[in-house]
Amino acid sequence: MAYNILIVDDSDTVRAVISKTLKMSGLDLGELHTAANGQEGLDVLREQWVDLVLTDINMPVMNGVEMIERMRADDDLAALPVVVISTEGSTTRIEELKAKGVRAYLRKPFTPEKLKEVIEDLLGG
Amino acid sequence: MDSDHGDILRRVFSEIAENMAFMFVEEPDDETPAEPENDDLVLAHMVFSGPFSGRLVIAVPAALCPEIAANVLGLDPDDELVKAKPYDALKELLNVTCGNVLPAIAGEDPVFDLTPPEIKKLDRAAWRVLRDMPGTQQHLVEDEPVLLQMSVEK
Repeated sequence: MAYNILIVDDSDTVRAVISKTLKMSGLDLGELHTAANGQEGLDVLREQWVDLVLTDINMPVMNGVEMIERMRADDDLAALPVVVISTEGSTTRIEELKAKGVRAYLRKPFTPEKLKEVIEDLLGG
Repeated sequence: MDSDHGDILRRVFSEIAENMAFMFVEEPDDETPAEPENDDLVLAHMVFSGPFSGRLVIAVPAALCPEIAANVLGLDPDDELVKAKPYDALKELLNVTCGNVLPAIAGEDPVFDLTPPEIKKLDRAAWRVLRDMPGTQQHLVEDEPVLLQMSVEK
């Protein structure tokens, strides 16, 4: 099964790096969508079929936590798996994010192998 | 910043530069202060707050930025994305270094808030002021001088 994935990050460079890492991972990829903040991410999710969201936390306009909270409040998006990719990785913050429904957390930098492992754990390899 | 924190910063920055940008961080051979070849210099900085607060700064010759970006992205230095956003990768390098050095110092539990990295231009006089401040580390990346400094509020 090819995965459609949404990447949400305010940096063009980070979105490009995550896209490259996904392509290097060997995962069966469908469409890769990108968004520069949580609001743009929600807009994409309402228009496109997406299997998984990879998101940063600290972004302008709408941060990743607010996007996740709005997804959980939306019946159509509530069950969509979300992986947070961020530089901040304290166990306290990871537990807070998991309480909001985040399924996995990746601290930068990460390898294609690690990304593949996390996605296959969530979506089934 | 005490010497232990300086050692941690040096180690973490070296690991991140190698893993993210495939660039090796070297120490200058002698005590000669790092002096860039020209006045086209940039500084990226960000603030962290939590159990302790402070600022992390990296300063580099501007010419190094497209090389960092090209390596991080796996693209040619002449690629449009590299040319359009030459400083983004430097900001991300600083961001990831900050995100990894703080738990290396404070442990995995404390929460730190990080501001987005910002870029500003430096002139040679400002470079020398930063270079000569206590706690500023001098490194070489691709034979270019790089200054790295973490300041912690008392």
